[in-house]
Order: sequence, then structure tokens, then C-alpha cells
Amino acid sequence: MPKLVKDLRVVADPWTLVGAEGDHDSERMPERAILPFEDWLEKRAWPAGATRTGVWVEGDAEAEVVGPHAAELPLIAVHFPAFADGRGLSLGTLLRTRYDFAGELRAYGDILPDLAQYLHRSGFDAFVVPDARSAEVAIASVRSITDHYQASVRQPIPAFRRR
Amino acid sequence: MYRYDAFDQRFIDERVAQYREQTERYLAGELTDDQFLQLRLRNGLYIQRLAPMLRIAVPYGTLSSEQLRALADITRRYDKGYGHLTTRQNVQINWPALEVVPDILADLAKVRMHAIQTSGSCIRNVTTDQFAGVAADEHVDARPYCEIVRQWSTQHPEFDWLPRKFKISFNGADADRAAIHVHDIGIRAHREGDGILFDFLVGGGLGRTPAIGSVIRTGLPEEHLLTYLEAIMRVYNRYGRRDNKYKARIKILVRAMTPETFRAQVDAEWEQLRDGPSTLTRAEIDRVVACFEPPPYAPRDDQPALLAEQRLAAPRFNAWMRHNVAAHKVPGHAVATLSTKLTGVPPGDVSDVQMDAVADWADAFGFGELRIGHEQNFVLPDVPQEHLFELWQRADALGLGAANLGLLTDIVCCPGGDFCSLANAKSIPVAEAIQREFDDYDYLHDLGPIDLNISGCMNACGHHHVGHIGILGVDKKGAEFYQIALGGNAGDDASLAKILGPSFSRDEVTGVIGKILEVYLDQRIDEEPFLHCVRRVGIAPFKERVYAKAG
Repeated sequence: MPKLVKDLRVVADPWTLVGAEGDHDSERMPERAILPFEDWLEKRAWPAGATRTGVWVEGDAEAEVVGPHAAELPLIAVHFPAFADGRGLSLGTLLRTRYDFAGELRAYGDILPDLAQYLHRSGFDAFVVPDARSAEVAIASVRSITDHYQASVRQPIPAFRRR
Repeated sequence: MYRYDAFDQRFIDERVAQYREQTERYLAGELTDDQFLQLRLRNGLYIQRLAPMLRIAVPYGTLSSEQLRALADITRRYDKGYGHLTTRQNVQINWPALEVVPDILADLAKVRMHAIQTSGSCIRNVTTDQFAGVAADEHVDARPYCEIVRQWSTQHPEFDWLPRKFKISFNGADADRAAIHVHDIGIRAHREGDGILFDFLVGGGLGRTPAIGSVIRTGLPEEHLLTYLEAIMRVYNRYGRRDNKYKARIKILVRAMTPETFRAQVDAEWEQLRDGPSTLTRAEIDRVVACFEPPPYAPRDDQPALLAEQRLAAPRFNAWMRHNVAAHKVPGHAVATLSTKLTGVPPGDVSDVQMDAVADWADAFGFGELRIGHEQNFVLPDVPQEHLFELWQRADALGLGAANLGLLTDIVCCPGGDFCSLANAKSIPVAEAIQREFDDYDYLHDLGPIDLNISGCMNACGHHHVGHIGILGVDKKGAEFYQIALGGNAGDDASLAKILGPSFSRDEVTGVIGKILEVYLDQRIDEEPFLHCVRRVGIAPFKERVYAKAG
């Protein structure tokens, strides 16, 4: 059973991920839907039932395309096709630092718990992991290193300015 | 040397604990082989043909005698009593059990060493001139900047999961001993007035598609080093290919985009980052530079008379002085290279006894510091000239006194098919056969400088593309064959070797090298070095002789 870790705690997921267009039933839309970015962009608001909408994008999505909408979105979910594919880390960093995205930044897909420390530092505040044990390991992984050398979304001041 | 403070020590201690926990989860069946693969690679652990191989980082090739003794001790306790010096200035041990690697890392951390990012698709050990800080032709000691980049690249939140491995090298001297033209990023450091400036070459590399780096920025002031690197890495992380590992290096991206477009993208990204918090402060640069201040040299005079007398009396010492000893910037001192290229020993392999001895000599004939060069030799950087003869005698007695630096038998060679699961062919026996065949010092000396590099596969760990003579192991229907190329060079006027023609069986290789050397001796004009001769006459005459029909 997948678990959502939000702000380093396991929480119930109020959101429902909706697949690509044609993949869903617009009559029975969940209240909080995470829509494909292109669908959201074309329709702006979703059919009746959805009160709030977030979007999902692939890790190789252009921050320059998604970023300008950051202020309108409560949630952006980034799909990691493989845990070793670090493109989503650059996307997360850019959404947070260049487009000042302040909503929930969620990673999902092939999320190895050991990736959590990188996700956390690249601005992700939520990630979906396969099970409870993975959630426990993921949270521990974020806390396993007290402080890092370089600047990150979490700590914009590099260690050398704080030493 | 860089001095760890509490911050550095805590980081590597926590990193060891993190890796121990990862290993435990793997052993408990919580991680698949593929998942653990990525985690262990980021800590230098490969699973090789015969056993795991652990690559230990030696940042920019600089070690203390204490650290070298610790390495010797680790090879004794956890391994078979020897280690291997790599072409990227690191040390590998070939037989550690997976279960004890966390213990080895904990022992390393006690002497401020680690194996972080020595493999995997991340930023690897930053390398530089093995003579940095002592070379007479140096303008900028690049070690402080290597250290700054090492810290910045260690567990970077964004750049630890790149399309492919990433290698950065610095050079601050006239001669390029750091092969900056064939690195993902090569950085040339120079001085202008009080400031230090950097030129960036991007997209060089060896491997399957060898390439010489393109200059994308000149004269970048030192405080911008990290923000500019961040801009390059971000463009690469976002746009480097991930669909084909053979097209994933930055050189492919730079070529596909063209260097001009790549530069424009990096510049646009950098405009967003410049003068931000990652801009280096004067205090930080000074803090790190202070760690590399010259040691307290006692006033000494050069010793031409004494050395001349010793050289006359001992012809082998004379040869060693000629090839293995370089000028030092402080009078009365010299830089001595101890060759690991003794015939019968795999190039770069050193025993625990040799490591302990080299550590002792670094204390006795210097300031307890030594280097590993990318040609897989030890360097003692601060030897008083009056002790050179004694050092040579001691080194010679332990098999480290070969006078072949830069000569044909100073072969650069990867571990090859004897150890490495990637290799198509063995490389060590080829090196040994060549060393056995060409063992006459006068002949080697007459041939002059020849870089002979051997890789067991096209991943090119033996840097065959930039050998004056490059040998590449290839697989032909399950049999080991060797392709031979000529005219490569890793230095300032870097070039890639051209393939002679069809490959040879292992038995034929030594004979082919012999024919190549004959053509050189026939064709050379006066003292013309091998590389220049090949460049002048081209590969045609070599090809003709090598492939001539018998009779």
C-alpha cells in the first residue's frame, strides 16, 4: 500500500491522481484531482465535482513552461520514471527558486526511499513511497546527514558562509 | 593539505553510517540488486568478475603519510595486501567482502578519507597536476579550488543522479599534466594581477566517442567558480541524454547542441545564479588556500656537484635522475616520481610493504605528504637534493626505482579482463609482455618519451585514445583481440590516436609494437620524439610495415 510522506510525516492523501485524457470519468471527479498539466492548461478548470486541481508532469517537463503557472497551483506532482533519473531534482529546484512555487511539490513514481534526502533538499515536501517501511526509511534518510556543504532549496546559504 | 574541521568529519562519519544502513537493508533483502547497485556505486563499490572492488577517493591525488599507512593497513586486514593506483589518482582494492565495506569506510573516515562518488553517474573525484604546489612551471596551485569543488559536489542535492559519470580536472601550470582537454570539464587556472581566473573547457572525454573539450568561457573570476559550474551541471542534468548510456556523456550533448548553443544556454542559466549565495567569499577562498601554504622549507642550495658525482658513479641512478626527477620551485629540492611499472607487476599495483615504505620516505625526505599521478605512480614532492641518491637506493630495493618515467615501459593500463567485468580483453598480460620484450634501458632511452596506454574495453580507463601508442582490447566472436592506434596525446596539444587497421591477437601485439618502433627509428629526423614523428609522417608508413605480407 503506497504511503504519502508530507513534511516528513506519513499522512493520508487527500488528492487523487488522474491519468492522461480519456483515462478518467469526468462525471465522477474527485474533489481534489491531480490532472495532467496539459489537460489542466487547456481547460483551466476541471468539470464539475473537482473543487481544487493540481497538476502532474514528467521529470523532464520544462520548468519554463510549468513555472509561470506556479502561483495558480496548490500542488505540482513530478513523476520519476526511474529513481536514478535526476531531472526531476532540477525541475523541483527551479520551480521553488526561480518561480517561487509555494504549494505542495510532490514526487511519485519509482521513488527509492534513499532518494528522499535529495528530494527534500531539492524542494520536494511530499513523496509517495511503496509501503510503510519505505516511508520510515525515507524519513530517516532525510535526517541521516546533519548538514551539507552546498546550498540547496532547504538551505540556500552554503556551509562556507556559515562555518 | 586540506585540514578537516568538525563539519567535514561529521559529514563523512554520517555518510559511513548512512552506507552501513544501506548495506544492512540490502543484506536483509529490502533492496534489490539494481537498487543497491546505485547506492553502492555512490560509495565506490563495484561488483567485479572475481570479487567486489572498492575505489577509495584520493582527492586530487594528495595523501599524507598517515593516510597511506592506513591504506596499507586496510589492504592487509581486509584484502590481499596490495592496492592499485588508478588513472584518476585514486586507490582501488580488489577483494573486499561486501559485508565489511562499511567497516573499511569507518577506518578510512578515521584518517579523513572516504569512497564517496568514486563511481556512479555523479561528479567524481576532482583531479589536478600531481606536481601542484611544487612544479617550477606552475602559475596557480589548483588544489584549493579542487577542494572547494570537492566539497560543493559532495552529495549535491541536484547533481548526484546525472545521465552519466562526470569528471572535472584543473590545471594551473604551463604543461598540462592533468589531461584537462579530455575531461567532461577541464579548467585552466591562471593569474592576472592579484586575481585568479578560470578558463572552462567542456565536453572532452575518452570512452566510446573520444572528444577534445571546447572552450566555453575564458577569464572567469575565481569567486564565480561554483555558480558557473552549477549552470553547466544544470544544463547537462536537464538535457543530457538518458535513453542510451553510450550517448549520455556531456560531450554528446555539447556536440549535438554545438558548443556555441551550449555556451549560450550555460550563460543564460548563469545570469540567474551569478552573485548569488554560492558565490565564493574571500574568507572561504583564503581559508582553503591557507591549508595549501608551502611547507616550511629549510634554506638549501642546489647540489649540482654532489649529484653529478653520484650520477657518474651509478649509471642507473643517472637514468633515474634523468627521467624520474623534476625541477622544484624551491632551490635545493626536487620532485621525485617512484614508478610502479616494474616488469612483471601490473602497472599501478603496490603492496602494503611498498605503501608503508613510501609513507616512511615521505616523512624522511619531505613533509609527510605525497601524491598519486594519473600515470599511476607515486610522487614525493619535496625531496632535498642531497637525499635523492639515498631515496633512489631505498626505492630501488623495493621495486620502486625503475627509471622509466615517460618511456615506453611506463605503461598506463586498466585492470582489464583479469579483474574487471566490463573488459573485453585482458590488459595486464599485454603490458607485461611489452615490458619483457623491451627491457633494454639504452634502447628505451634512445626511443625517448613514448606514452603507451592500454584499455581492456572502450570505456577507456587506460586512456588508450591519448596514448602516443594506444592499445584497445576488443572482443571478436568471443576471442580477445587488440586494436592499435597511434598519435594520441593527453597534454597541451591534445590529440586522439588514429587506428592503424584490423586488430591483432595477443601473441602478435608485441611484434607489432616492435615494427612500429622500427618505422619510427627509420623515419625520425635527429632527436624528433615519437609523437612528433607520427604527426609528421602520418600513420601510412606504420600501417604499411605492420600489415606487410610476410616474404
